[in-house]
Amino acid sequence: MDGFHGRLLYIDLSTGQSSWRELEEARLRAFLGGIGLGTSLLYEFAPPGVDPFAPANPLIFTSAPLVGTGLTTTAKFAVVTKSPLTGFIADSLSSSHFALELKRLGLDALIITGQAPSTVYIHVHDQKVEIRQAEQLRGKSPGETEALIRAQLNSSAVRVAAIGQAGENRVRFATISNEGRHAGRGGVGAVMGSKNLKAIAVCGGRETQVADSKGVEAIADSLRRRSLGSLTDKYRKIGTVANLAVFNRLGTLPTRNFQQSTFDHAEALSGESLTEHNFSRRHGCASCTIQCERLFKALNGAEQRLEYETLFALGPLCGIKDPEVVLQAAQLCDFYGLDTISTGGTLSWAMECSEKGLLPEAQYLRFGEPTALLAAIPLIAKREGLGALLAEGSKRAAVEIGGESLHWAMHVKGLELPGYEPRSLKTMALGLAVSPRGACHNRSGAYEADFSGEVDRLRADSGRGALVVASEDFAAVLDSLIVCKFLRKCFTDFYSEGAELLSKVTGWDCSSAELKRIGERIHNLKKLFNMREGWRSEDDWLPERLLSETLPTGVAQGTGLTPNELREMLQGYYQARGWDEKGFVPHKKLKELGISL
Amino acid sequence: MSAVIVEPARNNASAVILAGGKSSRMGRSKALLPFDGEPLIVHIVRALKSMFADAVVVAAREQDLPPLPATVVRDEVPYQGPVGGIYYGLRAAGGEFSFATSCDVAFINLPLISYLISHIVEYDVVVPYWQERFQPLHAVYRRSVLPLLKGQLERGELRPIFLYDKVRTRKVSEEEIRRFDPEGLSFLNMNTPGDYEDALKRWEENRPPTCTVELFGAARLLAKTKEVSLSLPQEATLSHVLSALAEQVPVLVGRVINRDRGSLVSGYTCNINGLDFVRAPSARIHSGDKIFILSADAGG
Repeated sequence: MDGFHGRLLYIDLSTGQSSWRELEEARLRAFLGGIGLGTSLLYEFAPPGVDPFAPANPLIFTSAPLVGTGLTTTAKFAVVTKSPLTGFIADSLSSSHFALELKRLGLDALIITGQAPSTVYIHVHDQKVEIRQAEQLRGKSPGETEALIRAQLNSSAVRVAAIGQAGENRVRFATISNEGRHAGRGGVGAVMGSKNLKAIAVCGGRETQVADSKGVEAIADSLRRRSLGSLTDKYRKIGTVANLAVFNRLGTLPTRNFQQSTFDHAEALSGESLTEHNFSRRHGCASCTIQCERLFKALNGAEQRLEYETLFALGPLCGIKDPEVVLQAAQLCDFYGLDTISTGGTLSWAMECSEKGLLPEAQYLRFGEPTALLAAIPLIAKREGLGALLAEGSKRAAVEIGGESLHWAMHVKGLELPGYEPRSLKTMALGLAVSPRGACHNRSGAYEADFSGEVDRLRADSGRGALVVASEDFAAVLDSLIVCKFLRKCFTDFYSEGAELLSKVTGWDCSSAELKRIGERIHNLKKLFNMREGWRSEDDWLPERLLSETLPTGVAQGTGLTPNELREMLQGYYQARGWDEKGFVPHKKLKELGISL
Repeated sequence: MSAVIVEPARNNASAVILAGGKSSRMGRSKALLPFDGEPLIVHIVRALKSMFADAVVVAAREQDLPPLPATVVRDEVPYQGPVGGIYYGLRAAGGEFSFATSCDVAFINLPLISYLISHIVEYDVVVPYWQERFQPLHAVYRRSVLPLLKGQLERGELRPIFLYDKVRTRKVSEEEIRRFDPEGLSFLNMNTPGDYEDALKRWEENRPPTCTVELFGAARLLAKTKEVSLSLPQEATLSHVLSALAEQVPVLVGRVINRDRGSLVSGYTCNINGLDFVRAPSARIHSGDKIFILSADAGG
C-alpha cells in the first residue's frame, strides 16, 4: 500500500504479548494517519469510560502518509490516548528522527495497552518486539534515558521516545520526549508512566513506497523552495519566541495568571532581545528546511530550546521578568518531562492563591519570584509537598482548594490555556472553548482570523463559528497527513495541493473536496469520542475570570467577554458544524460523513 | 501639499543651511528660536537630513549653535550676504550640487525640493520664482558655479541674482510650485517677532502628519532598531509610510518592503495602533498613528 504500510503493532504490557494486525485501506483513506488515524483507533481500542491510568487505556503512536517521503516538515508522529488531565481525547504531536524510524518499522500505528509489572522499555527493531527491564532508568530525564538506551543497544540508528520523572509519577501534564522535542499536551507521558513504560526504542529498515515518486519529488522541490521565502521568515530568522513582544503590544499576552494582557517587562523577555543576548544556535527537525528551533545560552552554560509557549508560560504568566530564570525553568521542565504550558498555568494559579491567602502552606509562591518558580517545578515532578496538589493540574487543584480559586483556574476541560488572551482575540476565545482536547492553540488556529483583519478581534459575533470550523478541519488534515503548521502559509490552495500530493503518494484519486471532508470527519470523531466519555454542553466553556473581568491595560483595555457573547458564538459554531443546539453530533451527521460507530 | 512620494536621498546632493544672518529685526538669534519643541536650526537640519545624507550649516564666526548632525563651517569674511553663505556652503559640501536654504524657513517641503533637484541635470542653478521674485535661498546650485560666486564676492556683488544670467538657470514657475506648495509656505521667512508668531500659528495649522513605525521580529533584527519616526504627506496612506520607511531604513527593501517601496512582501503585515490589521497600500494613515510591522503568521 503506497504511503502506508497497512498494519499496526499491538503490544500488551500486562502479558508481554505483541501482534501485528492489518490496517484496512478504507480506514486509512477515511482518517489518513497521525491524529486522524489515532482518533479512529482510540475510539475502537479504548473501552468506553476507561480510567486514563487504567491498563486498558491504549497509548497510541501513529505515523502518516507523508512521513518518510522527504517532503519538508513531515517528519512527525502523533500520540493519542485518553487524557488524564481532561478525561477526553489527548492528541499530541512530536517530530524528527523518531518519526522517521517509527515508520521504518513497517507500521502505521503502534498501540500499547496493559501495565508492565515493573519499569520497562520497549525495543522494536526489524519485526521483533523486546520488552526490556528499565529499573535502572527510573528517575532519569528523557534525554539521559535516550542516551543510555542508545548506548545499551549500541546503535546510532535507534531512536528513543521517553518520559521523565513527571511521567513516572503520573503528573497529569507529563510529556513524552524525543530528541529534545515533546508530545507535550494532555498528559500523554503520565499515561505512559501508568503503564510502567519508561521508553520506546525503534529501529527499522522499511522505506516508504510512493505511487508516483517523480510527481512527489516535483512537489517536494516546489514546497522546499517556498519554505525558504519570506512567508517563513519568522520561523527561520527568530523562531516562535517572536510572538512575545508583538503580543504584548497587541494586548494579547496573558500575564500574571490572565489578570493582565500586557507585561511591563516584555521587552527584556522578547524573542528579539533573547536573539541579541542569548542566541546559541538554530536547529530543526529531520527533513525540515525551516529549522524553526532556537537554542539559547543559559547562565549555567547549557543550551536550552525555547518556544513562545514556554517563554510566555514560565515568564509573564508567572510574572517572571528575567530571561535567565525562564531558561532555567524550561530546563527543569524538559529534564523532568513536564508540559511547560500546564506547568506555568498551574503554578500561576497557585501563585494567585498564595497571594490571596488560599495556600497558607506555600507563602513563598509569589508572582515574579524566581526562586519560588524554580523550587516548585521539581516538587511537581516528584509529587512532593505542594507538588502533589499541583501535579493534578489547575482544574483538580482548584476543586481541592475550592472557594474563589475556581474563578481563576485558567483551563478548558482541564487543559491549561496557551498564550493567547481570549478577551482580545474573540475568535480564539471560541476556538479554545470548543476544542476537543481542551484549551488548545494547535488543533485549531482560530487566532489567525483575529490577526488577519477579516474580523474585529475585540468583538464577538455568531459568524466566528464558521471560521473556527474551517480552522479546526484544516488543522485536522495537516495533523493527519502530517505537515507542520509552519508550512501552511506556503500553500497557495492547501486543499487542492494537499489532495494532489496525497494522490501522488498513495495512488488514490483524492479530490480537494474529499480532503476537506476527511478533516471534518476527523474532527467529528474526536467530538464523538468525548461524547462517549461523558462530554456535556458546559464543557465547551471558558474560565470564569475571562467572562467576568475586563482587561485592565494595553490597547485592549476595558475589553471583556460576556457569557451571552460566548453563548452566541457557540450557537454559531454548533450551527456551522451541523450539530444540535446543545453541541451534540446528530445521527444524520454521522451518516453524512460516513462514520459508523 | 501634493501626495508626491519623496525621492530617496541622492549621494551626490547636499543640503546647505545659511545660519549666520544678523537677526537684527528679530532681536535674537533666529537659529535658536524654539520651534516645534526644538531650536529652529535643529528642526530644519533634521527635516533635510531625512532626504540628504550630507548637510552643511554655514554660521557666523562666534555664533552659538546647538549640537547638529551636520558639518558646521564659519564665514571667513563676516556678513557677505547670501552669496557668501552659498559660496562657503557649496565649497564645504560633499555633493556635486546642493540645495541651499536659510535658517529662518520652517516649512521644509521635501516633495518640492525633490522636484527642484530633479531639474538640475541639465542646469547649473534651479531657482523658484514666487510672487515675481527669485528665491535664491530655496534653490539648487551646481558646485561648478563656485568660481563665479568667488568672483562676485571679490567684486562685492552680494546679490545671487547676478549669477543667474551667467549660467544655465532653470526658473521654476509659480504654477509648478503651487503643485507642491499652494500657499508658498516654503518661502515664508521669519524676520520679525510677528513673523515668528505667525509661523508658529501656521505650523500648528499645517503640521505635517507624522507616524511612528514599531518593528517586530525579523524586521526589527534587520533594522537593528525598534522604532522609526516618519514625516508624511497630507492624506497619507500605508504606501507613503512604507516609502518613507524604506528611505530611512533601506535594509528593509526587498526583505520586508517590496522593491516598489509601497507594499509589504508576503509574510509580513501591518497593524495600526494595535487595533486594525492592514496590508492594502491604500489604507489611510493619520498623524500620530503607530504602525506595527510584524509577521503575518501568529502561530507558535
